[in-house]
This record gives sequence, C-alpha cells and structure tokens, in this order.
Amino acid sequence: MLALLFILFAGLAVGCAIGVVAQRNPLYSAISLIGVFISLACLYVMLAAPFIAAVQVIVYAGAIMVLVVFVIMLLNVEEERRQRTHLGFLVPAAVILAAILIAEVSFIVASVERSPSTPTTNISDVGLSASIGSQLFTAYLLPFEITSILLLMAIVGAMTLARRIKEVPSGTRVIPGGQVLALNVVEPGIPLGNTTPVETRSTSEAAELLGLPDEHDPLKRD
Amino acid sequence: MTPQLSWYLAVSAALFTIGVTGVIIKRNVIGMFMCIELMLNAVNLTFVAFASFFQDTTGQLFVFIVMTVAAAEAAVGLGIIIAIFRNRETLDVDEASILKL
Repeated sequence: MLALLFILFAGLAVGCAIGVVAQRNPLYSAISLIGVFISLACLYVMLAAPFIAAVQVIVYAGAIMVLVVFVIMLLNVEEERRQRTHLGFLVPAAVILAAILIAEVSFIVASVERSPSTPTTNISDVGLSASIGSQLFTAYLLPFEITSILLLMAIVGAMTLARRIKEVPSGTRVIPGGQVLALNVVEPGIPLGNTTPVETRSTSEAAELLGLPDEHDPLKRD
Repeated sequence: MTPQLSWYLAVSAALFTIGVTGVIIKRNVIGMFMCIELMLNAVNLTFVAFASFFQDTTGQLFVFIVMTVAAAEAAVGLGIIIAIFRNRETLDVDEASILKL
C-alpha cells in the first residue's frame, strides 16, 4: 500500500519536473512546478514529517510560486523560441559527464541499499512541530539567527534592486541600462538652467537621443 | 513492501538531475530560476528522507533553513529578473551578455 502511494507521488513529482523543463510557456512551467511541490509534500507526509509538509505547501506552493507567477504575469513573458545549436564538441562532452554522474548516483543508491535501514514508524515524534521547535530554539539557535540576518539582507537587496533612480546630475554619460538624461543634454538649444530629466528605458534609446553610436545594442553586435 | 531509503534517494537524484538539465538548456531567466527551485526541493527530499530513516530531527531543521534561503533567493532573484527586463526588454539570457569580454 505504502509502496503504491510512493510510486504514485514519486511518479507525479518526476513527471511534473519533466514538464517544468519541457514546457516552453513559463506559466505552464510554473504550474508544473506547483505540482512537483504538492507531490513532494505528499512524500513528506509519507516520511512522517507533517510539519515540513505543511510548510512546503504554505511557503513553496503558496508564497514563492505566487511571487513567480506574479512576475511572469507582470512581464508578459513570451514563449521561448526554438533554439539554434552552436555547441559543437560540448554535446558529446555533456553526454559523457552525464553518464559519469548517473554512475555515481547509482553507486550511492546501491551502497545505501546494502546498509541496514529501519523503516519509518509513525509513532515517533521526529517530525512533529514541537520537537522541531524545541531543537530550533536550543541546539540550533545560531543557524536560526543567521537565517533572520539572511532574510533582512534579502529585504534590503530586493528594495535596492527595485528602486528607480530619479535624479542624476547633468553630466550624465551613457551607461548600460535605464537612465535619466538632463533635457539640455538631449536638446542643445535649451539653456543650461533647464535640466528637466528625460527618462530613457534602454541604452540604445539613450544613445539615439544623444546621437552616439550604440555599442551595446545586442542586435548590432557580432 | 514499504518504501526504502534508496527509493527516496533515487527520486531526489532524478529531480536534481532534471533541475540541472533545465538550468543548462533553458534560455529564459524565469525558467532557469524555477529549475533552481526544483534542485533545492530535491535536496530537501534527501534531508527529510534521512531524518525520517535515522530518527533525527536535524535534517528537518535544515529543510526549514533551506526553505528560508529559497524564499530570500526568490525575492532577490525576481528583483534581478525585473531589473534585467527593465534594462534589456528581454528575458533571454543570451541577450544579457554585457559582462562578456
């Protein structure tokens, strides 16, 4: 019975994972990834870890995937184009390395198979939130605190990345990416006192406004 | 017949390999990001399987910490993706090659 459930959920997880890679539309990939998370949560329940299963559904399938789907919708991502192959000798090298990796993994699995293992008993208190919480706040307090510092860094980093720079001095030069140019830089006829910013969204647009050759346009390179 | 430890490890290895393959063959930044999440989940499955079979809570604690790292990575990573899209107006990783010599 347990073996049947394992095969069901493991097959679902691997199938959805293949779907994540195979789909060309990012939204379908995201929905397949939610399938992977849900079936992994089921596997965690089978491993007598109900707390981790609940956190998996809430944090991964809830918070993180909502963020990803939100970004996909916001950016209106197009489907991937069929990619051209310019890899050359890398393809056989990749096949050889993958064969070595599979051999290593099967060696590890086989050696684990030979070692004695005790099957999970559902009466243990290993997976309960009480035991996890008491360990987290006694023996593993330092990793917990480091995690809080990490989250603080993530908040600061995300805000720094999302911030738009509004004001730039009049001596602005062309830098890659979105930038703000003073109006008297763009149109020389306007007197120097007027420095109303003109916003451009890309380097090529800014270079066009300034009348400079665009060295960073990916379409015009090589 | 109950599931053995090696079964879980095999599933985890398969998920991790699929994630690596996706990071290599995907050209979309969001697709690569989701494949990295897949790899993190494969490692989480290994942690929980070992924790359950060895009757030790430590593995599940580290799954908790890995999830926090994944959440932080999601926030910063998606911020970077939006910054790339704002500057390059594309999500193709081959287009964002300005650091290439």
